[in-house]
Amino acid sequence: MLILLWFLWDASSAYWYEFGISQLWAAEWYPYESLYGLLPAIIGTVWAMLIAMLIAVPCGLAAAIVSSEILPVSWQGWIRLGMEMLAGIPSVVYGLIGLWVLLPWLQYTLDLLTGHNLLAAGMILSLMILPTMMVMSQDALRLIPIEQREAAMNMGMNWNQRLMRVLLPQAWTGIRSGILLGLGRALGETMAVMLVVGSLDRVPDPIYNILEPAQTLTSRIGREMGEAAFGSMHFSALMACGLVLAVTAICLSLLAQQKRSFV
Amino acid sequence: MKVFLSLLALPALLLPVACFLYIIVQAFPALDWELIVGSSASSGAAGNLFGDAANAGHGLWSQISGSLLMMLLACLLAAPIALSIALFHALWASPRQQRMLITLLQVLQGIPPIVYGLCGLVLLIHLLHWGISLAAGGVILAVVILPLLSSNAIHALQRIPIEQTESAKALGLSVGAMITRVWFPVAWSGMLTGLLLAMARALSETAPILFTATVFSGVLWPDSIFSPVTSLQTHIFYLAQEGSNAHVIDVAWASAAVLLGLVICFSLSARLLRRYEESS
Repeated sequence: MLILLWFLWDASSAYWYEFGISQLWAAEWYPYESLYGLLPAIIGTVWAMLIAMLIAVPCGLAAAIVSSEILPVSWQGWIRLGMEMLAGIPSVVYGLIGLWVLLPWLQYTLDLLTGHNLLAAGMILSLMILPTMMVMSQDALRLIPIEQREAAMNMGMNWNQRLMRVLLPQAWTGIRSGILLGLGRALGETMAVMLVVGSLDRVPDPIYNILEPAQTLTSRIGREMGEAAFGSMHFSALMACGLVLAVTAICLSLLAQQKRSFV
Repeated sequence: MKVFLSLLALPALLLPVACFLYIIVQAFPALDWELIVGSSASSGAAGNLFGDAANAGHGLWSQISGSLLMMLLACLLAAPIALSIALFHALWASPRQQRMLITLLQVLQGIPPIVYGLCGLVLLIHLLHWGISLAAGGVILAVVILPLLSSNAIHALQRIPIEQTESAKALGLSVGAMITRVWFPVAWSGMLTGLLLAMARALSETAPILFTATVFSGVLWPDSIFSPVTSLQTHIFYLAQEGSNAHVIDVAWASAAVLLGLVICFSLSARLLRRYEESS
């Protein structure tokens, strides 16, 4: 892992020496005029992750609760099998769905110039992380000992109280690590996002405008790697994107681990 | 509350299934045996047996074989390393080292695959001059699947009852004999499950091999491991980028369906194996 980080650092060092850390906040990215600001891509990444989380967390959690608490036991095995299959669908296939189904639909219903935007990227991402989230939360709910449920029933709690007071607090550790895992996946997902996000390097204007084409860190790397010559400033700027991604991902997974070991 | 939750859960349960069915329906017009084995297979010419890739959009055989080759190479490279990591974890590591190893593996699993792709690009292609090649793709995919594979192998070894290990030691078996005679017969199915899951993962990764191993067309069968290949994943991506006419779109859906079928084959067999393991 250290070797990997060292490689990224080494390849991107030219970029950091030339521009310094302040380039993280610079807003212009025009490779042909030697302007390499990372801000548009970082904002795009954060927005896509946020949208994905806003959709996937409530839906995934609800689906886990419904399938493990309400539906009959005999269905659970099948739902679980299906979810695990779905978690394995290649991301480029999701990208295809996004490109040819979601984009025209968005364009039509919201009356936009183009369907390529951050909202579409977030929606595709949420579709991708839903199964992961659901499997993790379901595991967490199932690990709760049966005595706890019985004790809650004996105390005369109704279904809502049992859910909110007993089941969710106990399963929370597992659910949280599911959320962090989903965040990591949303952060690092390349192909699906690359096909729908539109790849326009600009800070959204105003900043909460999610219906404009934008760029994420991963899609920038994917889009421009083929064009950048080895050893050029463009190349090391892209490596810097990779470094930012890797550091964020490492922090996320360390965070997930610490939470798990403390609680 | 129940009604509210059910309403919220409905899209989560139905949408993915709908997507899956949609792919199959869309792929149906272009999907036939001709497409998979290559459009000119019936002419019998040996050179054209592996699909006519120059005529892009016909015959997915070269893409399929490219994907499978890269996957096999990745597994061949990663499996021994993962096995030795698991054995190290089980035999010699102190509890502190074990914890660190598990943490490290999970962190590595969290790093986006495209970052591995970037490192591979710098190290293998620019510094070692391998060129855009099957070997580079295989090595990068091996690194991508290594954490998954080794944590699965570790879990498989951990599930062995401690009594078996202790009685093996009490019988005076050497370490080698203990591994081959006692551990392996118990743990093989768990390890194989891990391997199948890793294969499915290697098949579905696209980003890391996009600039390191694959080209769009013109390759029927890689001459050596240092020549570029075409793969199903990147083929879909290129088609999606270029595609505007109806036929190309059909072919892209069909390739998506084929890829989906392959991935599901591997992960379903992993699932069946796990069920078999639990029942026995």
